[in-house]
Amino acid sequence: MPEPTGVIHDIGYQRYTGPRLGRRAVFGALYLHGLRTAFGLGRSAKAKIFPWLVLGIVTLVAAAATAVRSQIGEVVMTYAQFADNMSWLVIFFVAVVAPELVSRDLRSGVLPLYFSRPLPRSDYPLAKLLALATALWLLLGGPQLLMFLGAAFTGGEGMGGVWDELLDLLPGLLYAGLWAVVFASVGLLVASLTGKRAFAAGGIVAVFLMTTPIVGVLSIMPSRAVNELAFLASPSTLVGGVGGWALGDLLGPQAPVPIGGFGPVYAVAAVLLVAGCVALLLLRYRKVAAR
Amino acid sequence: MSTVSWITLRGLFGRRRFLLLLPLPLLLVLLAVLSRSLGVDADDWGPPVLVGLGLAVVLPVVALIVGTGVLGAEIDDGTVVHILTKPLPRWQIVLPKLAVAAGVSAVTVAVPLFVAGRLADSVRLGLSLAAASAVGALAYSALFLALSLLTRRPVLLGLVYVLIWEGLLSSFVSGTRVLSIQQYVIALADRLAPTELLHGDVSVPVAAVMTALISVGFTVLAVDRLRSFSVAGETS
Repeated sequence: MPEPTGVIHDIGYQRYTGPRLGRRAVFGALYLHGLRTAFGLGRSAKAKIFPWLVLGIVTLVAAAATAVRSQIGEVVMTYAQFADNMSWLVIFFVAVVAPELVSRDLRSGVLPLYFSRPLPRSDYPLAKLLALATALWLLLGGPQLLMFLGAAFTGGEGMGGVWDELLDLLPGLLYAGLWAVVFASVGLLVASLTGKRAFAAGGIVAVFLMTTPIVGVLSIMPSRAVNELAFLASPSTLVGGVGGWALGDLLGPQAPVPIGGFGPVYAVAAVLLVAGCVALLLLRYRKVAAR
Repeated sequence: MSTVSWITLRGLFGRRRFLLLLPLPLLLVLLAVLSRSLGVDADDWGPPVLVGLGLAVVLPVVALIVGTGVLGAEIDDGTVVHILTKPLPRWQIVLPKLAVAAGVSAVTVAVPLFVAGRLADSVRLGLSLAAASAVGALAYSALFLALSLLTRRPVLLGLVYVLIWEGLLSSFVSGTRVLSIQQYVIALADRLAPTELLHGDVSVPVAAVMTALISVGFTVLAVDRLRSFSVAGETS
C-alpha cells in the first residue's frame, strides 16, 4: 500500500474569535433597520415617495397652522387636535409602512434566515412593532415640535410663554404616542397575515376605515350608555376617548369625544386591544413557513 | 366568456383571499338591520351607513382590491407574460379583465347597498343605490386597472386617491368634489330616487358625463399602456 501523497494546504481560513454580539445587538439592528425602512432611508427613490409624501403633508399642515397662529394670533388647532385631524394620513402611513416591514420578509421567504440567528421568536415582531410605533410617533410628534417652536418664539411673552407652550406640547406628544402604539399594533398584525404588500395595504385601510361608520351608527342608538360606549368601536375614537379621559384638560379646551363616565373602560379597552394584537402577533410568528 | 375573463375569475376566487371581500358588505347589511330593528330614525342612520360606510368605504376599497388585483397580481407574479405573448389584441385582454373587475365589485357592493337602501327608505332607493354603485364600480375599476399599468404601486396610489383626495381633501376643499367618483355616485343615486338621505354636491349631467369619461378614458389609457408594457421586478 503506497503512502498517501496528498497534502492539505493551509489557505488561510480562520475562525472568528472576536466578540459575538448577542440578542440585544440583533434586536437593535432589526429595530434600526425597521425604522430606516419606514422612511425609505437607504433605499431607492421609489421607496421614499409615499412615506415622504405623508410626512410632507403633515409638516405642511403644521407649518400652515403655525403661520396662521403667528399672524392672526388665533389657535387653529391644539396639539391633540392636530393628531386627531391627521388620522387619515396616519392610516395611510400605516398602510404604506407596515407591509414594507413584515410582508416583504414573508414574501421573499427570508424569515428562516432571521430565525437561524440567536434571535428569540418574539424579538422579530417586537422589534418591527417598536420600529413602526416610533415611526408613527415621529410622524405626529415632529410637526407638533414645529408648531411648538413656531408658537414659542413668536409669542413674545418671554420664557413664561415658552414654558406654558411646553406644558401644552408634552401631553400632545404623549397623546401622539398613544396613537402610535394603537395604530402600529393593529396595522402590523394585519400586515403580518399576508405576504402581498398590495393586499396588506388594502386590508389595513379596510380594517381602519370600516370601523368609523360603526361609531357613527352606535352613537345614534336610543341608549345613552351605548352612545357613550360607541367610540370603543374604532381605533381612532378609542384613542380620542382614552386621551380625553387620561389627559383631560391638558389636551385642550374641549374633550375630543363625549364618553361620559366611561373613561376607565376606554383605558382598559385600549390596553386590551394593544395586548391582544401583540399576543396574536407573537402567535403568528411562532411558526413561519419557509416559503 | 373568453378565456382571459375565465383566468381572471379563477385568479380572483381561486384562493382564500376573496374571503377578504366578505366582511365589508356583511358589516353594511348588519348595521342597517341593527339600526332598523332598534327603531332608529332612518334620517339618522341613513347617511353614516349608506354614504359614510357604503359609498365612501365599501365601494372604493372593494373596487381597489379587485381592480388592482385583476391585472396587478399577474404583473407581480410575472405571469402576465403568458397572456401578453398570445396573439391577442391588447383590448381583448383589458376589456374582459375590466368586465370581471367591475362585475365582481358591482355585485359585492350593490347587493348590500340594495338591502340597506330598502331598509332605510324604499325599494326605489335600494335600486337606485345599487344602480349608481354599479356605475361607480365600473368607473373605479377602470381607474384602478389603469393605475396598475401606470405604476408599480397601484394599491398605494389608489389609496392616495381614495383616502386623501376623496376623503381628506373633499372635507376641507369643496372644489375637489367635482373630480371625485364618490360624489358622482351620490349625485346619480340622489337623482334616481330623491330622498333626504343623500345630498349630491355635483350636478347630475356633470356626474354622468364625468363617470362615462373616466370609465372610457382610463380603459383606453390602459389598452395603450399595455401595448408597450415592459415586465420588471418588484420595486426595492
